[in-house]
Amino acid sequence: MTGYLQILLPELILGSVACLLMLMGCSMKVATRKLVPVLALVALVVVFAMEMGRLQADSAAARTVTDSGGTFRAYHFAEYIKLLTAGVGAMLLLLAWPTNAEGTGNSALNVGQETGEFFGLMLLSLCGIFLVAGANDIILLFLGVELASIPTYIMVSISRPNPAAQEAGIKYFFLGAMSAALMLFGFSYLYGTTSSIKLDAISRVFHASAAGGSIPTLAIPAAAAMQPWVMLSIVMLIVGFAFKIAAVPLHVYAGDVYQGAATPVTAFLSFVPKTSGFVALIKILYAAGGPDWALPPQLGRLLWVLAVLTMTFGNVLGLLQYNIKRLLAYSSVAHSDYMLTGLATLVGAYNTLPSQDRGGVQTDALSGVIFYLTAYGIMNAATFGVLMLLPARDGRAGTSAETFEDIAGQGRRHVGLGLCMAVSCFSLIGMPLTVGFWGKVFLIKPAFAGGNNWLVVMIAVNAAISAAYYLRIVATMFLREPTTDAIAPQGQPKRPFPIALAIGISVLGSLLLGTILPLTQVFTTGANIAAKIDDGRVPPHADAR
Amino acid sequence: MLVLLLLIPILGALIGAALPNPRSAKTWALVVSLVTLGVALVLVKQFDFHPAKAAMTTVDSVQLRFGASPGQEVAGPYNLSGLGCSFSLGVDSISLWLVLLTVFLTPLAIAASFDSIKERTKEYYAWMLALLACMLGVFIARDLLLFYVFFELTLIPMFFIIGIWGGPDRRRAAGKFFLFTFTGSVFTLAAIIYLGLHTGSFFISDVIHYAQTALAGPEHSTTRFLLALGLLAGFAVKVPLFPVHTWLPLAHTEAPTAGSVILAGVLLKLGTYGILRLAIPIGFVGQTGPVLTGLLQFVGLLCVVGILYGALVAWVQQDIKKLVAYSSVSHLGFCVLGLAALNDIGIQGSVLYMINHGLSTGALFLVIGMIYDRYHTRDINQLSGLAARMPIMAFFFVLFAMSSIGLPGLNGFTSEFLTIQGAFVSKTLGIKYGVFAALGVILGAVYMLLMTARVIWGPLKTPDLGHGHGDHAVPGDLNRREIAILVPIALAIVALGVMPNAILKTILPAVQLVQQPEKIKPSRGVAEAAAAARPSGPPLNGISRTTDNGPLTTDH
Repeated sequence: MTGYLQILLPELILGSVACLLMLMGCSMKVATRKLVPVLALVALVVVFAMEMGRLQADSAAARTVTDSGGTFRAYHFAEYIKLLTAGVGAMLLLLAWPTNAEGTGNSALNVGQETGEFFGLMLLSLCGIFLVAGANDIILLFLGVELASIPTYIMVSISRPNPAAQEAGIKYFFLGAMSAALMLFGFSYLYGTTSSIKLDAISRVFHASAAGGSIPTLAIPAAAAMQPWVMLSIVMLIVGFAFKIAAVPLHVYAGDVYQGAATPVTAFLSFVPKTSGFVALIKILYAAGGPDWALPPQLGRLLWVLAVLTMTFGNVLGLLQYNIKRLLAYSSVAHSDYMLTGLATLVGAYNTLPSQDRGGVQTDALSGVIFYLTAYGIMNAATFGVLMLLPARDGRAGTSAETFEDIAGQGRRHVGLGLCMAVSCFSLIGMPLTVGFWGKVFLIKPAFAGGNNWLVVMIAVNAAISAAYYLRIVATMFLREPTTDAIAPQGQPKRPFPIALAIGISVLGSLLLGTILPLTQVFTTGANIAAKIDDGRVPPHADAR
Repeated sequence: MLVLLLLIPILGALIGAALPNPRSAKTWALVVSLVTLGVALVLVKQFDFHPAKAAMTTVDSVQLRFGASPGQEVAGPYNLSGLGCSFSLGVDSISLWLVLLTVFLTPLAIAASFDSIKERTKEYYAWMLALLACMLGVFIARDLLLFYVFFELTLIPMFFIIGIWGGPDRRRAAGKFFLFTFTGSVFTLAAIIYLGLHTGSFFISDVIHYAQTALAGPEHSTTRFLLALGLLAGFAVKVPLFPVHTWLPLAHTEAPTAGSVILAGVLLKLGTYGILRLAIPIGFVGQTGPVLTGLLQFVGLLCVVGILYGALVAWVQQDIKKLVAYSSVSHLGFCVLGLAALNDIGIQGSVLYMINHGLSTGALFLVIGMIYDRYHTRDINQLSGLAARMPIMAFFFVLFAMSSIGLPGLNGFTSEFLTIQGAFVSKTLGIKYGVFAALGVILGAVYMLLMTARVIWGPLKTPDLGHGHGDHAVPGDLNRREIAILVPIALAIVALGVMPNAILKTILPAVQLVQQPEKIKPSRGVAEAAAAARPSGPPLNGISRTTDNGPLTTDH
């Protein structure tokens, strides 16, 4: 029982602090409510430190720990994702910091009486990713994905008191429910065909040779193939997760939701549900394919098409936007798909490469995805932070900048913020000396090694398209004259420290990881270790079921 | 030493941006750029110009006369997820001359902005210095990825220089400049990663060695073709070659004077330098002479079309700056034609052309800027007979125009002659290309002389500066600062016209090496690097640096 507690400690901390925060939110005292974000931040920092320690211990001992029921596992991949989530989560929390004197929410995020709920939900959502990362059980996996998503539906709606936010919340909720249904459908078929809910057991069923041929009918011969039912279930799961990562046919909600929500919530949306979707997708593919990622070529093609479609759609839609938050929504769609190219390479490699080359390419592809996820989490926060600190033009008191008109010439009035935005945008484009550049390099490299030359061409074309709209942000901020009516500060707080800190971390992170190569090396090594997913040794008690 | 070429401008830019007084910023920028020039001159002094024959026997010393010799890096290699890149610098005689061109033009461009840049001066000079560092970085990088990093980074300072301090249509010009060049170079990046991935190292010498050995057979011709195409994509846009040149007239016209000078003088040369340094040894030369001759001929065709088209379009321009901009399209056509000829004469002429075009076109932009500062117009119809009012300006203008046309005795002649001769005797191109390119020389004289005749001679006509400025004196001739800017260029133009051999002789060994890339030796560490760079391998040497990080010293 102590083992169980030890493994689950970070999740327990996050969950219990979340409950505590909600109780504190009910308090009549302003001082108590003011304490809410502080407590939330402390919880995340503690969890971050804890994961840091674990990851270091893990890489030394290369061990995996599974609880006695086999429901939950702690291993490299999971620990890395948890570390990343805690770190980026702390940054996103700083962005959402309530900064008015009354402690009732900053000017962009009008959480009013709901401070406690808001931050409680935020922690719960982050906790969801932790569960997804650690789950060894499809039920827990599903619960984790939903725990990461459901709080965000509420956060979107309560983030600001206007109809757009309500509409965004409702849209997001209904489409999210549909994707959950698809996901459950997929999970049920997965259970039906393998009669197990444990991921490692499922993996063994698919690879009967490893399990001693216990269920020979499902054993997969050398050339990867899949029974139609299994295929159906995997495809349904991919579709369900594609909603979370806003891949193209399922991206339609992104624009409205991102625009409707308050800016800090938008920043949260661009990272958290996406991460949960990617992690779940990787885990399911790993379970179905085993350590060799032996998946049928059709799945590789599906991911390929999904990636290329989404990149292109996301970027072209991004070009057409007038509202910057909407633009960033489509940019986030496009960035998902740079990551999907990595998965497409990963899945495609089994059927196209000789076995001696395969392992390296697959590890590279996955570590590229993980590195890109890290890079995206780091570099994306600053764009939203800067938007929050820039005032909107007259007539929309109490809101922050959202449209191109709002930020016109603002880079000259607020040079520091302008430069932060520029760095962040150049990083998102993938200019050298920023982390975005390395992110692209590490995705292109395995794509070449896997023989996916056309995928590289598509990445290149899309990087060029996306440059156009990111550059437009920079150009609007620096090259245009400030519009005269943007002068009135409208009670905009002067550079609230937590938000400035978040922007600072994000910008410094993008620059340092792009220039100080030894530091980048630390991150790539971490991603490489995480990309091995598992050392394959499952403790015997996990087989008990 | 080489590190100083990067460090001084970068630190200078940072300090300059932090200076309290905008006025001191310009003096500071000038001082920093002059110090960089001084460092470069020290480098020249240390550089050992071997006579050609002796040099050919020791390939190493031609390849990297000093700086990082193969196998010895400044810092690194870093094993980033299986890609081993390093911070390694070095120059051969070709890079050395281009470095000199850069450090020569930049102080002049900075000095030329003293009066014309009136707002946001601190930012302006900081960007100029940053640009200087990036351009030098391209020429002295000996690691492919480092080369690309600098190649790409030049976009950011130039984007801001055009976009903030440019003419009325500056935002469109800046955006177009950035997007065109970026789009081309992402394909270059893809090719570079492919090469680095398969070589296991990003040293330029290693990569060329890989291309010469592993991609030698005919079964690899498709790979080679695609790689050459990818590399050319970025460089051709930068040069710019004919169909992708459309960003250039706009950017040149809208950029402030100094921006145009640097753009025409140095930035365009990054493209030709890339073709010379990478595309030719990797793509177009095999063990037994030229390969991919079809693509090479196509490039030659684009050059000839660019030469004629650029000249014809320049002919009808009413804006002096636009005319010179289109003349650049035409001139750079000659430059790449010389490279595509793939023989000593052509490539030597081409390298010389890079330097000459930088001098004469840069100088023309400077003079045009000076006219514009006085009359606020560049319209040929509004300006006439300026020689009567500004004789000194007229002297320089005619000199630079003649240099641009290629008058014998001035610098332009030798290089134009050599590139055309190169095309004539080339095994890959041949007489047809030479004949049509030579037509471009005539057209070049036509548009340039017509413009000079109208602007400098004829009846005096200047735009009315009148309204409200009645007491304003009529704009005078060049002042001392402006003369001081133009004199060095004029001297260089005459000097290179009289003795082009100063350059031609020193670059010959390097030029021959470009055509015999199989002689380029890989770095000593390539085998180990390739082994260590295996995706699953342990980090190469940990994070420690293999050699000391001190300034580079000469080998000789």
